Amino acid sequence: MATGSPLLQMERIDKTFPGVHALDHVDFDLYPGEVHILLGENGAGKSTLMKILSGSLEADSGRILIEGAEVRHNNPDRAAKLGVGMVYQEFSLVPTLTVAENICLGDMPRNRAGLIRWGEVYRRAQDILATLGVDINVRAQTSSLSVAEQQLTEIARILAQEPRILLLDEPTSALSDTEVDRLFDIIRRLQERGVGIIYISHRLDEVPRIGTRVTVMRDGRVVGTLPVAEADKNTLISMMVGRRLAEQYPKTVSQPGPPVLRVENLTAEPVLHDLSFEVRAGEILGIFGLMGAGQTHLAHVLFGLEPMTSGQVYIDDEPVTIRHPTGAIRRRMGLLLRDRQASLVPVQGLGPNITLPKVSQRALLGLLNLRSETQIASQYIADLSIRPPQVRRPVKFLSGGNQQKVCLARWLATGARILIVDEPTRGIDVGAKAEVFGLLDRLASSQNVGIILISSEMPEILAMADRILVMRQGRFTAEYAYGEATQELLLKSAS
Amino acid sequence: MSEKNLTETRETRNELVATLASSRIVRLLRHLLIHGGPVIALLLLGLYLQSATPYFWTESNLVNVARRTSVLVIFAVGQTFVILTGGIDLSVGATAALAASVSAVTMTQQVNVFGIKFGPVGFVEGLVIALLVGTGAGLVNGLLITRGRIPDFIATLGTLEAFRGVALLTTNGLPVPSYYTDAPKARNYLPSEVIALGSNDWLGIPIAAWIGLAVALASWIILKYTAFGRSTFAVGGNREAARVSGIKIERTKIGVYVVSAITAALAGFVLMGRLNSANALMASQENLNSIASVVIGGTNLFGGEGGVFGSIIGALTIGVIGNGLNLLNVTDFYQRIIQGSIIVGVVIFDQWRRRRFGA
Repeated sequence: MATGSPLLQMERIDKTFPGVHALDHVDFDLYPGEVHILLGENGAGKSTLMKILSGSLEADSGRILIEGAEVRHNNPDRAAKLGVGMVYQEFSLVPTLTVAENICLGDMPRNRAGLIRWGEVYRRAQDILATLGVDINVRAQTSSLSVAEQQLTEIARILAQEPRILLLDEPTSALSDTEVDRLFDIIRRLQERGVGIIYISHRLDEVPRIGTRVTVMRDGRVVGTLPVAEADKNTLISMMVGRRLAEQYPKTVSQPGPPVLRVENLTAEPVLHDLSFEVRAGEILGIFGLMGAGQTHLAHVLFGLEPMTSGQVYIDDEPVTIRHPTGAIRRRMGLLLRDRQASLVPVQGLGPNITLPKVSQRALLGLLNLRSETQIASQYIADLSIRPPQVRRPVKFLSGGNQQKVCLARWLATGARILIVDEPTRGIDVGAKAEVFGLLDRLASSQNVGIILISSEMPEILAMADRILVMRQGRFTAEYAYGEATQELLLKSAS
Repeated sequence: MSEKNLTETRETRNELVATLASSRIVRLLRHLLIHGGPVIALLLLGLYLQSATPYFWTESNLVNVARRTSVLVIFAVGQTFVILTGGIDLSVGATAALAASVSAVTMTQQVNVFGIKFGPVGFVEGLVIALLVGTGAGLVNGLLITRGRIPDFIATLGTLEAFRGVALLTTNGLPVPSYYTDAPKARNYLPSEVIALGSNDWLGIPIAAWIGLAVALASWIILKYTAFGRSTFAVGGNREAARVSGIKIERTKIGVYVVSAITAALAGFVLMGRLNSANALMASQENLNSIASVVIGGTNLFGGEGGVFGSIIGALTIGVIGNGLNLLNVTDFYQRIIQGSIIVGVVIFDQWRRRRFGA
């Protein structure tokens, strides 16, 4: 498939941010009709490289050639005109506009008088969605769509511009398996039309399914580029992290203690129905479900973010009513949200972010101990090897994996005995994943924390959970002990 | 120059820059340059005025600037709390006028509140009444926003009008003290302490400036060292994160509006002392000037970043601009244009700085 002269060449691209050498003379190329997969841990420089290509960042030095012609003074407009289309990880949709408006945004069909031809707008949007094989109402307001539907709309929006070079940044992170299959079909069709595709992913198992070549980046450098045939999982992992990870899922199987959290007949209309379960000290309870099965809602209800219609929660056999996170934290509960952006204060440093739940327990005019705050931050930076190890660095400059460690450090600092983690490895890299799991395992096995692990990643839940509850439409449909379940069983119970 | 040479030169330059950047003095200078924008702007302004007019850099003029700016400083410090949470308080001027009017009326005549007759009261009681009125006004704002679930802008836009109305009712639309009143036991003067507060000096510095300084210092301590201060930053920095971390958003919101209104009431009280009178329409420019001071001082209008120090610098900048233009005999019409341009210019520079240095 990959033949002829390169569609894109990026030569010796160099970029420095204050304090970080983000790209160190990176070379990258792309041929027509190939899917070039770009792998790397968070902070390896993939996104920076792609932003330079799509014109939203400027390189300090280096050249970009598209079909042999150098692109000077790149900007998003020029890149789009040259046929570079980018599907970002964060959606760039306007939530209050309709699906069709979003798809045609920036290129609305107009009549002679310069007025918008609405019929044409809807027709065009409909056509593009039809080629994607998805059924989304083009007149619906975008904010009413599910995350997966928004992701597909986003892809449709870019495809409407008929790009020759298509950048996909983790396009499958919000998609279900069938939707992923459909996306891969579309990618193959685009390949046949000679579109070059750059595909950024964290999911190593996608590499052989869709890729032509793989480039691995680490610390702003290209570690190597291989044909997919030579890129087996272990090779890729060792290239990504610079070491071979013998243990991706460190797991200590131990005897759990008495229940720390017991839930009886919990109902939260209209999402959750009659849920009863318990979590023991030192146990990791996995809750598996497909998107929208209600797992996240359950976490929010337990933590006091959403109201409960009926039912009773017991902590250490004592009935409790939690109406606000403050109460949950006081009872030494912790929650790691699915969305990291929603749990960090981006402009503040590590110290304030880590101690925030402790601060919320103080009286309004209670004095803070800034020195101990710095000590706590330094301690967790060392314990969890947070990089870069700077207490004052605003957390918005940290990579996803390191941000996740900051979120976890928060609940270590409050000494949480019940920890609910919702998709703790969403969008973080292999190395950080292993560290997060190592930490969860240590918390459960040696500190007797009861952990609820909510995940839709079957390998991780199978490997890490002592017990798995499967959820479908707000009800539990099955329970499996450690080692009992398989991916097939989980899927069958969940759908 | 060939491309290779160019690249090498660039690399050498980068290394040189890196070496320089690592030295401590350069780091300090860089820090000042990046974060000290407002201070530098104020210094440049001062230097320019010194060369442009012989009257600016004189003791009497600087004392005058301090006296005039102190009231704005007090307003701006309170406004900083609100803006740090991502809110905005448009009612500070009205709150100040209301607090000053109510306390002026009780200090100059006998009042009848629900059948209880008292007054005219003294200085201390008058001050306490002003601060209580401020607290009430802040509670109204805070409750409207949190319980009424309406945007900060709308809530305080409404109370801005309403507070002025209550102040007009209280004073019958007259300046207080007034010669035209037939109220019982009426006096036609304010307690001398009130006037001293607004007009006298202590150690060569206006008492109003000391008050401004004390308010700023107390606020700085609250913001840096208390749970309330930390909550203020967290709510503005990421409301959702604050909530998940157990911060009580509503309580924090109400808190910042109470702080803002109490400082506004205090500012109104000091202003009354300087003017030797209170009226329902006083402090009409202070709403927007206090917001401008906070923004010039580098506090992010969307919340989460900034502090009272910047707001003081911002208030001083506005004060110095006004004073300087007066000294340069620029008429009020031009003054407004220039002041507006400078406010926008400073913020443009600040936004550029944030983008460029990611600070």
